[in-house]
Amino acid sequence: MPDVERLERTIETKAVVLPKERERFDTWWFLVLAVAGVVALLVFVKPDPFLRIVLFLRDGIGVTVRITVISFAFILVVGLIGGLGRLAKNWLIHGIASLYVEIIRGIPLLVQLLFLYFAFPQVLDTVGAWLMKLSPSLHGAGKWLVDVKPDPFVMAVAGLTICYGAYMSEIYRAGIQSISKGQMEAARSLGMSYFQAMRYVILPQAVRVILPPVGNEFVALLKDSSLVSVVAVSDMTRRGREFMSSSFMSLETWTMVALLYLVMTLFASRVVAYIERKTAFAK
Amino acid sequence: MQNEIIIIQGAVKRFGRVEALRGVDLTVRRGEVVVIIGPSGSGKSTLLRCINHLESLDEGCIIVDGIPLTQAENINRVRAEVGIVFQQFNLFPHLTALENITLAQRVVRKRSREESERIAMELLKKVGIPEKAHAYPAQLSGGQQQRVAIARALAMQPKIMLFDEPTSALDPEMIKEVLDVMLALAKEGMTMVVVSHEMGFARAAADRIIFMDEGQIVEETTPELLFTAPKHERTKLFLSKILH
Repeated sequence: MPDVERLERTIETKAVVLPKERERFDTWWFLVLAVAGVVALLVFVKPDPFLRIVLFLRDGIGVTVRITVISFAFILVVGLIGGLGRLAKNWLIHGIASLYVEIIRGIPLLVQLLFLYFAFPQVLDTVGAWLMKLSPSLHGAGKWLVDVKPDPFVMAVAGLTICYGAYMSEIYRAGIQSISKGQMEAARSLGMSYFQAMRYVILPQAVRVILPPVGNEFVALLKDSSLVSVVAVSDMTRRGREFMSSSFMSLETWTMVALLYLVMTLFASRVVAYIERKTAFAK
Repeated sequence: MQNEIIIIQGAVKRFGRVEALRGVDLTVRRGEVVVIIGPSGSGKSTLLRCINHLESLDEGCIIVDGIPLTQAENINRVRAEVGIVFQQFNLFPHLTALENITLAQRVVRKRSREESERIAMELLKKVGIPEKAHAYPAQLSGGQQQRVAIARALAMQPKIMLFDEPTSALDPEMIKEVLDVMLALAKEGMTMVVVSHEMGFARAAADRIIFMDEGQIVEETTPELLFTAPKHERTKLFLSKILH
């Protein structure tokens, strides 16, 4: 048995990624160019309605990109905290993190967004009114809660972050767990604290492991951001619906919206693949 | 400065229902080289790992260089004084050999980049592979990786070095290069606790040999006496199996 283990170890440690293979041109970029080309062709050959549609969607494209990028930044942080929480030995921290992940994963994103935008303000109103009644010193805080108007953009970012943060927690957890226990032991035995070991030893390795699933999450988020159109955010999907209801050109509108999403998602997955190749190390 | 650098008293460690250590007393003096042998599952690695608190004791106490290993705030202090070398090397695969050796110096000892790199290069020369400074672990042989791991531990200037079966994962032709480094270290007067069945090393470097079985110390003796006149039946049986 030890011989088999030793052999496996040798195979593992000797499998070095060849630099040639890493630098080879990624042919999937042609697909991105092809889809972008179709969009350009439609706009050029039939400016009416396609150029009109693109111009109408323009701010929506910006909103979609902004909401995706901003949410993703928060999601990376929430996911890290959630993932570390899931791995915590402290039962309370572990319990809270696990509860968060299990509950959020069990509710559809669309329902979460609807709840945040339509139901949550009512919760704030109730709590605010209760605070105002409770004590004069809390009157200010209570009044603020009653008066505060939910900003659609903020609520959308919050909703996406809460939902995707749960999935991201599981990705971080799996990534950290995939690093052998010996790495943490070696780091700790050199006198590093838990967080130093995480920062300098475990996470740099885990990040390379989780990059593909994290990239997938980004692409999925880009698509799921279309759901925020139901909570009064003027993203690309909502702008598409507005154009359609004024022009009645369903086929043209949704073809263009679909193509634009496709250009963005294909582009994003190519960027992820590029980063993956750049950060790969001999293992 | 007291002469006993490691004092272990009544050490008990349980993994679930299994008792890995069943009341171990051991004292190691400054500069002493102690080799621990024994069949697998006898608790020798567990004992070693308890000395720098990779495992915590269920009963008993360990005092390292006058610091009891009970309060949490002492643990990082003790760990920086106690280097450990693992069977599986456990080098950081995303860092070069040089970076493996400088990381803890910079993060824990707060040394500058220049100073930690100077120390790292000196240590790489000492273990005989200065030319591999910028190689990644995957580009090194097992013996070279283990020598980098020794250099990494030495960079913290530990007072004690622990070796947990340092040559068990190595191909036969690489064992000597690692043992040579360990022998040199022993000659310099480093306090060492070594779990290993390399009897050549034990004969050449050990001041004391400890035979463990079933979580207890069965016999404590010198290398000469162990090979010529083992006292216990279990020791004899074990020796007859490993000295073929």
